[in-house]
This record gives sequence, structure tokens and C-alpha cells, in this order.
Amino acid sequence: MIIFKGITKIFQCKDRFITALENVSFEIEQGEFLSVVGKSGAGKTTLVKLLTKEYDPTKGDIIFKNLSVSSLWGRDLQHYRRKLGVVYQDYKLLYDKTVRENLEYIMQVLGASDESAQRDVPKVLDIVGLEGKKDNFPSELSGGEQQRLAIARALIHRPEVIVADEPTGNLDPYNTYEVINLLKKIHSLGTTVVLLSHNKEVVDALKKRVVTLENGRIIHDNPKGKFIL
Amino acid sequence: MITNFKRITKFGWQGFWRNKGLAAQVVFTMMVVVFIVTFLFLFRQVSLFLITETQKKVDISVYFKSDVSEDRILEVKDQILGFSEGIKSVDYVSKEQAKEVFLEEHQGDNLWMEALEEIEDNPFFASLNISAQTPDQYAYISSFLEDEPFASLIENVSYNKNKRVIDKLFQITTNVERGGLVLIFVFAVLVALITFNTIKLSIFSSKREITTRKLVGASNWFIQGPFIVQGILYSLFSVVIFDIVFFLFLLFLNSQVSSLLLDFNLLNSFKVNAVSLLLIQFSFLLFLGVISSFVAVRKYLKV
Repeated sequence: MIIFKGITKIFQCKDRFITALENVSFEIEQGEFLSVVGKSGAGKTTLVKLLTKEYDPTKGDIIFKNLSVSSLWGRDLQHYRRKLGVVYQDYKLLYDKTVRENLEYIMQVLGASDESAQRDVPKVLDIVGLEGKKDNFPSELSGGEQQRLAIARALIHRPEVIVADEPTGNLDPYNTYEVINLLKKIHSLGTTVVLLSHNKEVVDALKKRVVTLENGRIIHDNPKGKFIL
Repeated sequence: MITNFKRITKFGWQGFWRNKGLAAQVVFTMMVVVFIVTFLFLFRQVSLFLITETQKKVDISVYFKSDVSEDRILEVKDQILGFSEGIKSVDYVSKEQAKEVFLEEHQGDNLWMEALEEIEDNPFFASLNISAQTPDQYAYISSFLEDEPFASLIENVSYNKNKRVIDKLFQITTNVERGGLVLIFVFAVLVALITFNTIKLSIFSSKREITTRKLVGASNWFIQGPFIVQGILYSLFSVVIFDIVFFLFLLFLNSQVSSLLLDFNLLNSFKVNAVSLLLIQFSFLLFLGVISSFVAVRKYLKV
């Protein structure tokens, strides 16, 4: 479904060059649950930004269902991004909209009717436990609640792939367990899930394929892997 | 399409209303822009009024020799009126009228009164006072009168005496008109820069949200639309608020303002030109508001 083909990403910082990813190649099958692990600075978030085409690779390409992501732009890029549900590490919520409006916005982007938004939004808010906060603005939520809203936003439009960048980073153990269960449930319904994390316990408990990054390189790709760092 | 349009309008209004503090700042700054636009519009009205009023006060007088009869002078008057369309009016002042005017003007001035009594005859000349449409006409009228058959009838023409004043006035009125155009151009550029920067700053605060909208797959129009609606709302509010405040200002202070502008009735001019002024204000501000929003958001859409 998604193929990372020899991806290298080099950033230029004044007269210095920083290699975030070097010759990274791996494949994600449709319906797979994949964890990408690594220490801070290993290149996990860069991988997400390349997948959403926030960045273009310096070398190599990402193939999504036979489409070269690097060559996408305009309408094609919009349609591609609508197929992804991304939980960003910094949430990237719409701070000028309420919790309910943040979710409705995604459905409106897809051209869904107001009726279907009114039907689906409460369901998803219920799943992430934010039904009582639907009229609050993100700035009125705690860190954990904002993270759950980011998860709800990634789920609302039933995307083909969910990419979750440190989705449990600000959650307590109980909520961490809930989020992981939620991702497992979504996966069981046939959605491809890519989890980027440095939480050893979470990844080990999943017993799913783990790709380990270190200094921008893949050092392990284990189908029933464990967090080895 | 209609659903999207409704949603964009709703988002625009939400953005405007939820950021009331920022919106108030933008509206206030854009009111300065409306003030400049209104000032330029009224400046043109006032300058045209002042030019016309000053021109009205300038004329040339043709003094006839004592032996020229009144009938002959009235014939000359008709010939002058037929000489050019640039002549606004020609008024005949008889010797007696000239004396009366003089006596009126110098009432209580014994020296002049005694001097007049000494001269038994009326020493004043009959004259024609000529007013032209524009000051540049006076030179032509004067040269027309210097030729025969008029030259032998005329004692003197006041043009040569007033030539410097008339030329200066002509120069001033031309310069005021030219200067007005330059002023309009300079202020128009200034206004465009103020509007663009104000809207740019208001959009800068939404930079992160614009990027997020782009990353979730929203189309450029779905992202830009609400900001354009906000640009329209800023323009509408600034024009309406400014015009209400300005109207109230004129309503209470019109007499004071008018006395500073040689009795030019600013309130009346504002009322008479209300429709065209509103059209100019709205079209100018809407154009700038929409273009500025469009350009400012575009910068953050490159994700």
C-alpha cells in the first residue's frame, strides 16, 4: 500500500547540512499495524511529514497505492491527504473552532452533508470521551484532552491510513491504554495503522511489526518485533 | 457549491466575531483608510469651490473716455459679450454709479469729500466690469479691447494693473488641481499599503490554522474564502462606522468647519454626494480588502 523507496532527507541549516533520514526503505501492507520506534531525533516525525508531503524527500520517493507522493500537487494532493488521518505530535488543532467544529470541519472538507456530520461527530466524541466538551475551544482543554481531540479528528472521516505520531505522549496510563485499544479496534476494522512512538511498553504490548530507526536509518524491521532500543 | 459558499460565509463571520479584539483593531485602522479616501473626495470638492469662489472675485474693468456716450458703451458691451463664450458677465457702471460707490466707500473721510466738492464735475469714468469663466481668458479680452474700434474709446483697462494677480491666481488654481492629483495618487498608495499590512497581520495570527487546514486536505478556496469574507466585513464595518461618526461630526460642527472653508457647506456636500462617496469608499476598500486577504493567505498555502 505505502512504499518508502530509498528516502533520504537532508535539511540545510545556514551552512550546515543535517541528515534526518538516510536511504530509508520499507513497505506497509494494506490493513497492517506498524510501529515505527526510535529515540527523539531518530527521524520519526520527518517520516510523517514526508508522508503528508509537508516535506519533499531529498532523494527517493514514497509510493501510495501506485501513486508517487512527490509528484502530487493541487487537487490530487488534497484528495491524497483526505485519505490519511494523522494524529500530529503537536496536535495541529484549529484553535479558532470548538471541539465539535474541529471534527465537522474535516467532514465539510470532504463535502459531507450537515446531517451526516451531526450524526457522526457525537459518536466519535463519545469514543474519545469528549462528548461533554463539544462546545469548548481547544485552548480550554487539557493536554490529554487535546490529544484525544486530535485522535478523534484523525478518525472522523474513516481514512484508509491512520498515522499517529506519539499519540500517547501526554496521556496518563489509563488513557494511554484506551487510545491503544482504540487504534487496535480501528485496525481490526481493516484500517492501516502506523504508530510512531518511543513508548516501549506500548509497542511491546502490541506484538505487531516494529521498524526501528536510529540516526535516520532503519536498524531493525521485525514482523513480531519488540522495542529493542 | 451553494453549501460550500454558505459554509465559507459562516466561517468568515465566525472568524470575525470570535476575534472581536483583532477585528476592532483592523476596523479602526481601516477607518483611517476611509478617512483618507473621504478626505481626498471632499478635498477635491472644497478645492473646486475655493477656486470658483476666488475666480468670481477677479474681473477686469474697462474705463471709457468722458465723451463716449452711454449708448456707445452699451454697444461695446454687446460686442464684448459676443466675443467669446469664456465671458461670464459684463456689467455697466455709469459715471453716477461710480461716484455713488466711491462716496459710500469713503463715507466720513473728509479729505476725499472736500476734494470732490472742489471739483465741480463728476471726475469718474463710466466703465464695464468683465468677468470671465477662467482667469486665462482675461489676457485675450484685454488684447481684444486694445484693438480698434475700441482703443480710441477707452481711457484704460485695469487688466495690466491686475495682470500679476490674475496670472498668479491662474498659476495657483492650476497647481492646486495638479497637486490634488499627485496627493490622490500618493494617498492611494499609502492607503493600499496600510490595508494590505493590516490584513496581513490579522491573517498572520491564523498562520498555523491555515497550514493545518491545508494538511487535512481542504481546497485553497475553502481556506481562503473565510478570510476574504472577513476582508469584506472589515471594509463594511469600517465604512459604516466612519460615515456615521463623520456625519455626526458634521451635524454638530458644520458651521465652525464652514467658516474655515470660506462658507463651503461640508455637511451639504457630504449629503449631496453621499451615494457616490459611499460607492467610492466601498469599492476602494472592498477591492483592497479582498486582494489583500487573497494575497496574504496565499503565502501560507504553500504546504
